[in-house]
Amino acid sequence: MDAPLIVRGLRRCSTRRFLAWMLPWAALLGVGLLAIGLCLVKGLNQTNMDNRFAFGLWIFLDLAVIALGAGAFFTGFLLYILRRHELSAVINSAVVIGFLCYSGAIGVLMVDVGQPLRAWFTFWHPNVHSMLTEVTFCITCYLTVLAFEYLPIVLKNRQLRRIPSFLVFEFELHKVMPVLAGVGTFLSFFHQGSLGGLYGVLRGRPFAFRDGFAIWPSTFFLFILSAIAVGPSFVLLTTWLVGKISGRTLVRPGVFQLLARISGWLLAVYVAAKCVDTLLWLNRTAPRTGAAPYQFYAWEPFGTWVLFVEIVAFGLAPALVFLSRRLRARTGWLVGAATLACAGVVTNRFVMTIQTLTVPTLPFEPYMLYWPSWQEVATFLAVVAYAVIVYSLSFRYLALFPQERELQQG
Amino acid sequence: MFPGIDGFAWDTGHIVFLGAFYTVLLAIAATVSLAAMRSRRDFRLHHEQAIRWQAEFHDLPASCRRCRHELSGEVADRTCGLGFDCRRCAEHARLLAARSGGLPKAAVSDGVAAGFRVLADRRYHRGHAWVRREPDGSAVVGLDDLGTRLLGEPDAVELPPVGSRVEVNGTGWTLTRNGVRARILAPIDGTVTAHGGPDCGWALRVKPDGDGADDRHLLAGEEARRWTAREAERLQIALAADGVGAALADGGVPLDDIARAITPSELDAACGLVFLEP
Repeated sequence: MDAPLIVRGLRRCSTRRFLAWMLPWAALLGVGLLAIGLCLVKGLNQTNMDNRFAFGLWIFLDLAVIALGAGAFFTGFLLYILRRHELSAVINSAVVIGFLCYSGAIGVLMVDVGQPLRAWFTFWHPNVHSMLTEVTFCITCYLTVLAFEYLPIVLKNRQLRRIPSFLVFEFELHKVMPVLAGVGTFLSFFHQGSLGGLYGVLRGRPFAFRDGFAIWPSTFFLFILSAIAVGPSFVLLTTWLVGKISGRTLVRPGVFQLLARISGWLLAVYVAAKCVDTLLWLNRTAPRTGAAPYQFYAWEPFGTWVLFVEIVAFGLAPALVFLSRRLRARTGWLVGAATLACAGVVTNRFVMTIQTLTVPTLPFEPYMLYWPSWQEVATFLAVVAYAVIVYSLSFRYLALFPQERELQQG
Repeated sequence: MFPGIDGFAWDTGHIVFLGAFYTVLLAIAATVSLAAMRSRRDFRLHHEQAIRWQAEFHDLPASCRRCRHELSGEVADRTCGLGFDCRRCAEHARLLAARSGGLPKAAVSDGVAAGFRVLADRRYHRGHAWVRREPDGSAVVGLDDLGTRLLGEPDAVELPPVGSRVEVNGTGWTLTRNGVRARILAPIDGTVTAHGGPDCGWALRVKPDGDGADDRHLLAGEEARRWTAREAERLQIALAADGVGAALADGGVPLDDIARAITPSELDAACGLVFLEP
């Protein structure tokens, strides 16, 4: 039924099967929109956040998806600035993923901050001394950049490209893409850093507070490094997953190998930097603020195992797999390592958001755990559903993987 | 945000932060505006056909963009980067100069390649259109045997109006069969002077630009036969059942109306490969 919209020569499942795949995600999105409506109409009393847990599931989600979405800017940087042409095989998919991650994060942020009709206040009256202001400005600008990077992919749709003005504009937009990739890299570099810096400057939270360089705490640099290390892993993982679900070979194995190698080296550097930072924090920064580092891990749900898992299991282990030519040549190891690397950055953002707020800052305060309300969970899942729906539509109707047709022909 | 707005101050923080922000916004706006202005200029200069071909050629699988000199064995592996416009290709000129005989000679007799006719009196374009020079200086163009058999009897034909211009690799004419629209690339630059039809054996009569002698991008003779044979292979592979892998016929002749024997989606995919339209 929708064959005229599908890229010529690509094999896609029947319309009926596609709709069956989309239905549960649409239902999930519907429930999420209901929850979002409740939060916007009734306010944040619909959530389990309070004055102590002002950052909850949503901020954790924002940080996680923005880190995972770094694959878009980093792949663009590698392709357009460093001229790694092999990555043109995944750049379209990386852009769509980046767009979904950032638009999802901004959507949730609108619900979290509330009063979306007054969102312009943050731009009109910016507090230029706040890391969050920098994050807001950079994310908004970068989403604009991503929209302009996504636009040529949409305009290449089989029916849309027949319209001469669309085709010519897409062609000219493609020619200026290196400029947009450069701007995107600049913006991403700063907002990834500012998101980390946001925690590192929390003097009242010894669990998060860090020393640093000039005005930037060490978390500024660690967030950038972890995001660019995991971005290629997430592109690798999603490409493999889409290939599995659709039953198609989307890219040549060499592309996976290159992404793994890049991710491996960056992850190794990140793990080394993270180890140095952790040692400095536990032995110098935290004691200087009057905190006893052992107390950070004294409460069982968040014992030292979290630190071990984050650095060793989800950091060092995937880095070693990626750097081993023999292991990364095997799909199981490759995909397993990419999954671990992505889990690592998600764990890191969870630790920085939730564990930071769990640890008491005053002697008489207890450790506290927060459980999100159903509205928070439903909003979280709505972002996942939105991403799956838009990505599925893009995969079906747009050319996300230029090598797919050739590989299909054997 | 701006001087005069509540909260703004002329201090380092505001100047540096807002300065960087406005610079980024300016860079984004300037970049997109530049793309929009160039698009407008392209339309004014009627470049849309050339751009369409450039964009489509870029999107074609590498197997569709093989250099003609692979067929003759002069190069082992070479992908064309110039949209099959050998007139602009320095490598083509170099390889021809290296040949003792220069340009490939047209075949003296008609031939058959993989069951498809390759005629001696015409030169073939990589998009399966052909050109035949007429004694009066005009040229007639038509669809080659492989393209004709693939589409069979078309349900609809759209020809450019008499008096309009066609250009190499721009849209020559379009054919529709079983709901699948195939765009045939024009093999020469010129002005359409008459329409043909199935009875004439050609689609358009064209008055070529200049003397129309520069046909270095077209294939003839033995080269055209080799190319047709490879195109037939590509077509067979494209039409192979899913999961079977590459399989070629071990005999027989091609059908007169392949479109009738395959599904519209198979025809669509085959048209994309044969007529170079992704």
